[in-house]
Amino acid sequence: MEKNGLYEQFAARVAAVNAECYRAADTKEMLALITAALEKRQAAKVAVFPSPLITEAGLPDALAQSGYEVFIDDLRRKIPQATVGITETQWGIAELGTMAQYAPEVDNRLCSTLVDTHIALLKHSAILPELDDALAAIASGGALPNYVGFITGPSRSSDIERVLTVGVHGPKELVIIVVDEGGR
Amino acid sequence: MANAELRREIDRALDNNTLRGALGKFAREYPVARDKAYTGYDFEALREQVKEYKSYSRDHLDEVVDEFERKMVLRGVKVFRAPDGNAANEYVKKVAAANNVKKVIKSKSMASEEIFMNEALREAGMEVQETDLGEFIIALNDEHPSHMVLPAIHLTKEQVADLFTDYTNSKNAPVIAELVKTARSVMRAKFLEADMGISGANIAVAETGTLVMISNEGNARLTSTLPRVHIYIVGLEKFIKNFREISPILKTLPRNGTGQNITTYVSMFSGPTEAYLTDEEKGPKEFHVIILDNGRRALSKNEDFREMFQCVRCAACLNVCPAFQFLGGHVFGGHAYTGGIGTLLTAFLTSKERGRDIQNLCLQCGRCSEVCAGKLDIHGMILKLRNNYGDEGMPFVHKFILDVVSNRRLFHSMLRVASVGQLPVSRGKPTIRHLPLFLSGMTEGRSLPTIAPRPFRDIFPQIAQNVSAPKGVAALYTGCLLDFVYPGIAESVVKTLNQAGYRVALPETQSCCGAPANYMGDRQNARKAAELNIRGLEAEKYDYIVSACPTCTHALREYPELLGTGDKDKDKDLVARAETLAAKTFDFSKLLHMLGGVPGSGNGAPLRVTYHDSCHMKRTMRVFEEQREIISGQTGVELVEMKDCDQCCGFAGSYSIKYPEVSGPILEMKINNILATGAEAVLVDCPGCMMQIRGGLDARDIGIPVKHTAELLAERN
Repeated sequence: MEKNGLYEQFAARVAAVNAECYRAADTKEMLALITAALEKRQAAKVAVFPSPLITEAGLPDALAQSGYEVFIDDLRRKIPQATVGITETQWGIAELGTMAQYAPEVDNRLCSTLVDTHIALLKHSAILPELDDALAAIASGGALPNYVGFITGPSRSSDIERVLTVGVHGPKELVIIVVDEGGR
Repeated sequence: MANAELRREIDRALDNNTLRGALGKFAREYPVARDKAYTGYDFEALREQVKEYKSYSRDHLDEVVDEFERKMVLRGVKVFRAPDGNAANEYVKKVAAANNVKKVIKSKSMASEEIFMNEALREAGMEVQETDLGEFIIALNDEHPSHMVLPAIHLTKEQVADLFTDYTNSKNAPVIAELVKTARSVMRAKFLEADMGISGANIAVAETGTLVMISNEGNARLTSTLPRVHIYIVGLEKFIKNFREISPILKTLPRNGTGQNITTYVSMFSGPTEAYLTDEEKGPKEFHVIILDNGRRALSKNEDFREMFQCVRCAACLNVCPAFQFLGGHVFGGHAYTGGIGTLLTAFLTSKERGRDIQNLCLQCGRCSEVCAGKLDIHGMILKLRNNYGDEGMPFVHKFILDVVSNRRLFHSMLRVASVGQLPVSRGKPTIRHLPLFLSGMTEGRSLPTIAPRPFRDIFPQIAQNVSAPKGVAALYTGCLLDFVYPGIAESVVKTLNQAGYRVALPETQSCCGAPANYMGDRQNARKAAELNIRGLEAEKYDYIVSACPTCTHALREYPELLGTGDKDKDKDLVARAETLAAKTFDFSKLLHMLGGVPGSGNGAPLRVTYHDSCHMKRTMRVFEEQREIISGQTGVELVEMKDCDQCCGFAGSYSIKYPEVSGPILEMKINNILATGAEAVLVDCPGCMMQIRGGLDARDIGIPVKHTAELLAERN
């Protein structure tokens, strides 16, 4: 399948599970999209889990310079105050609109779970066609990381009268930003 | 008496409009959502894989469990193999004491429900909080789950609002989005305060030493992220060998469970994840895995029931079950496991006594096995369970009835006596409320046919069979209903087969097929019936054995297996004869189709009909296209399919007698679906379904005739 087709399929699946999906041509566009998402939610306190993509883009500093209070450590204490968490995920699955995250670090999981809005960053090259491709990719590195999580949309429940309600114990909103490295 | 208590539970469930509303709505929506989720996927191929992988692990249990343990221990996980629930609970208490645990949070674990873990921990002085929304709600109401995937499906938002108002001491409005917010904020504090987390797991992978958890709410992620100590409890049936084998489970479980392509979260743990050990200090958490046996290892070696290891706990068998839809899991279930698979799990893992009661609630319609993600023969295993209980002894009245039915001469003479003695017609129609023997004590909402004044065996000798140059001879097996209640169907079968070029013989020494006994758990009388018929029908003499009752046809075709379960050496000759009989036995429509159908296309009179598939015809014998082809081949006949045409009518043999209160509402749905088609006649291939549906239409004064396919053909040709 064409790489571009993969993104379209991924984005369509993401939309079908009540999440947002955007595409950034480079990290500069990524920063702009993140800022726009934060403004839209009138966020003030943001928790960030540093990953290569996030560090290279200088995200924590850029957010701090824009006036946001950024938490990157001591998260057990601080995370309850943050309304938005930003993390990078490792794989995308076009078939399902799913992201796979390697998150053995507790802060990574807190940033992606204990917040109202999770902004997930995903490299475009990391979008794989199918579930089986992702499982093969996860298994190919030898031993699995202690924690691998699949995320498909914001948390949800149908436990009361079978009515789908989005935003239960995990994030109420999921915003995915797919980043092309070195242009499209 | 346990049965009386079950009956009271049934009555309460049927009076509970909330339960029926919620389950009914779900039952309507579920198949649509499920079909949609499987678009583009080969369900049969996927479940074949699930079966292959899970049965491999079952058959190599030590290999996979040892490998899992090795991999986990290498990473610093503490693994405990618990022989039973008590040992598991004691282990949890020991870990809690060693780590000074006061507050425990849990994400869903059926295994912990199975062994009453919450109760054990509370008794030991711990605070235990269920975090799954549904589990939280039912815990506030002091109940057990009524559904394995949707534990609180029996409660309305108003009831939930009242429970939350009591719990939070502030008014909660019955608005679902607001109620979810309350749960989120209440639970947030609990997550942050907890010392220890406890979770179940959907899959345990040997190759990588990985536990896989599937969830939607995010509570499982938080439960496993925040506390400094975590215990997973996983049953022996959850193991697979290789990591890639999780694929077909991930592809079927969510689609089957809730119609989702995948759940919001899939979490895979392969070792002690990092946690905050104090507010500041981060480090690998104390990570324990309890592998629970509690009867599972014995089950893995039980030839009749080891398929249960293939179950992925998707609960699809509950979602499609006609009886579950009306009863819910508090009645049709044990304290942890509910519905079809829940009946089996209850019988083997939690309460043999409860299993004995609730297995009766299965209609044997087979829809569960059709949708099962692990390709389990769920209804077949429930029937085996029923038979096993039956072997241990039956209530006297049932036993007496079945003894009579399996005694040909006694049964037949009693039916003849009954036909003379029965009350005059009611409301000007030839129907009565009560029939003798196994047809007695029937239900409201349905009238019953009279016993025919002359049984078919007395009519048959007068039928002139003008078949020039017959192609062969088919022996007609009438079964009780055709012989004594609907001889007209049998006459139509003879006429139609004659037109197709076959002579029909009626071996006189035939007897009840044994299905009533078998479905009531009396294998002994079922075997007796089989023996009578094998000797009486003398299949060796004929080209075919034809029956116009799918239940009888199926029973005859199953004789080799039925007798094979007895003393094999003693029955050797009989089993060989049973095999000959089974190979020649076909249902009327199937045989007619094989013989090329009726030569004529009928009188052409316009008639709009709808067709009801019997459970045995559709799901057991897989005959559903043949009769439609035959029916549609009649000029002027327009076949309009009804909604859920293959949903059980509620007759299910003796079921409608034992549980008329369950059978009644199932019949009502069928009637409504028939009426919605605007059909002028309902066609069936099963006299049992005919009796049930005709009775339901008649009781409602609806003048739509119900005809057997053979009758339609005989009328028009």
